[in-house]
Amino acid sequence: MPAMPSPAIQARGVTKTFGRVRALAGLDLDVARGEIVGLLGPNGSGKMTFIRTLAGLIRPESGSIEVLGRSPSRAVADGQVGYMTQAAALYGELTVEENLRFFAALNGVRAAGPRIADALATVDLADRRTSPVNTLSGGMRSRVSLAAALLHAPSVLLLDEPTVGVDPVQRREFWNHFRSLAAAGTTILVSSHVMDEASRCDRLGLIRDGAIVAEGSAARLVERAGAADLESAFLILAEASR
Amino acid sequence: MSVRRVAAVAGRIASQFRRDHRSLGLLVAAPILIMSLIGALWGSVDPASVRVVIAGDGATPPAAALTASLSRAAGLSVRSAGLDAAVASLRDGSADAVVVLAGSPRVIVEGSDPTRTSGTLTALTRALAAALGPATPAPPVEYLYGGPSASLLDSLAPGLIAYFGFFFMFLLAAVSFLRERTSGTLERLLASPLTRGELVAGYLAGFTLFALLQAVILIVFTIAVLGVSYRGGIGAIFVVAAGVATIAVALGLLVSAYARNELQAVQFIPLVILPQGFLSGLLVPVDRLPDLLRPLAGAMPLTYAIEALRAVMVKGYPLGDGLVLRDLAIMAAFGVAALVGAALSIRREVA
Repeated sequence: MPAMPSPAIQARGVTKTFGRVRALAGLDLDVARGEIVGLLGPNGSGKMTFIRTLAGLIRPESGSIEVLGRSPSRAVADGQVGYMTQAAALYGELTVEENLRFFAALNGVRAAGPRIADALATVDLADRRTSPVNTLSGGMRSRVSLAAALLHAPSVLLLDEPTVGVDPVQRREFWNHFRSLAAAGTTILVSSHVMDEASRCDRLGLIRDGAIVAEGSAARLVERAGAADLESAFLILAEASR
Repeated sequence: MSVRRVAAVAGRIASQFRRDHRSLGLLVAAPILIMSLIGALWGSVDPASVRVVIAGDGATPPAAALTASLSRAAGLSVRSAGLDAAVASLRDGSADAVVVLAGSPRVIVEGSDPTRTSGTLTALTRALAAALGPATPAPPVEYLYGGPSASLLDSLAPGLIAYFGFFFMFLLAAVSFLRERTSGTLERLLASPLTRGELVAGYLAGFTLFALLQAVILIVFTIAVLGVSYRGGIGAIFVVAAGVATIAVALGLLVSAYARNELQAVQFIPLVILPQGFLSGLLVPVDRLPDLLRPLAGAMPLTYAIEALRAVMVKGYPLGDGLVLRDLAIMAAFGVAALVGAALSIRREVA
């Protein structure tokens, strides 16, 4: 029997407390390589904390967490992780291209020119290459931010509400691109509120009070909740877990 | 004008401000801190005695008589030594004036600080006139540094170059690093292979460029436009000024970890910048500080920067001089400590 490759993301009983707030309360999650998994949950449920833990920004108090079989900070240091923060997190005075050049250099991308051109084509912003980021709309900034996370072709892509402020046409383009990345082996973890977005994931994890309370494909979750659509299923399952 | 709307705005400001405990505390604490510094500095003016060294054979009657007579004068502390030892103590700051008794008496003063020089000369010439009698003409005065024409600006300029260089680079570094935190880009940087040490080093290198530019402009302006006379090599002056700016950047990065917004970053000015203005020797020589405050001056990087810059600009010491090297080494230690602190403080914030 061939050895199973280790999952791209493996979290076991992860806990983290901020003061008196228990942000993660024994979270378990496996994400296979090349899979797109959506994290759904109300505000303050721990999605953001979990993603920041995977990005090596937070050290959990207990439990284990591995990205590509190593510690998150190791995976980040190896340039294997792309992280798109919720706020665009770009330098407003610099142009789109200057921002991308900077992030490419941080991630050790050599011959950044063609990669930047590719990333900009992906997010459909090739014509705004020389615009200062300050002059872009919120949706355009999200797209630049995504381009910045794609530059070094990371194996694991962490997306924190990637399509906030992005119009439906562009959102569809994003998802087409996510699909082709996943087909090429990139693992993607998306946190989202948008049900349309959630339904496009291979698998969903419903997170509440710092733990996964339901897991499965969108269709399975709808079926399990006995609901008409994903939104009602989400409400029913979230309510049931109280 | 609606009173109700005005009241709403005022009420909102009050409730916001009430929650910012640090701003509120500083509103009261900072002026008290600064006022007590000023009080301690100038309130309890202790008429420092003028330290006079009589150089000459203490056994010969005129010298012995003069020493005895000067010793009785108020505000003078007198001892005697050989000429070389006397000049050396002028140089290291342990004496204010030397009265040389070889042939007709003459007076040597240190001269780098016009305020101190004139205070010294006033007290000494009065005492000498009383001791030598009205018939004797006032002895000629020689200056170790500067001269009778040295203006207050000449001695203030090195301190001001150091102070303003420090002030602006500190503020610039603190606020720009803070923006990195508040805009979320720091989060992105830390989720990349960039290490914290690399980040701090990058900031230092990036700002040093501008710090050097600022140092050049400040120095050229003071010398060419304000006409400040200087003795030392311009290269040496530049090295010290650049060192000041580097420490300021490191300290700015460190401080930005303890501020949540620009307002709080600016609040570090009365804590970090103003006390150094009073205590680092810019306004009052460090050795004339009240005993209570002198240790504080020793803990401030600007003290060493101003001392080094004065040594180079006013006294014309080369960079290789022991005093200048010591000051530069202490400045480097401050810089390294602040940089390490800055790198560690980023970790503290995120993890």
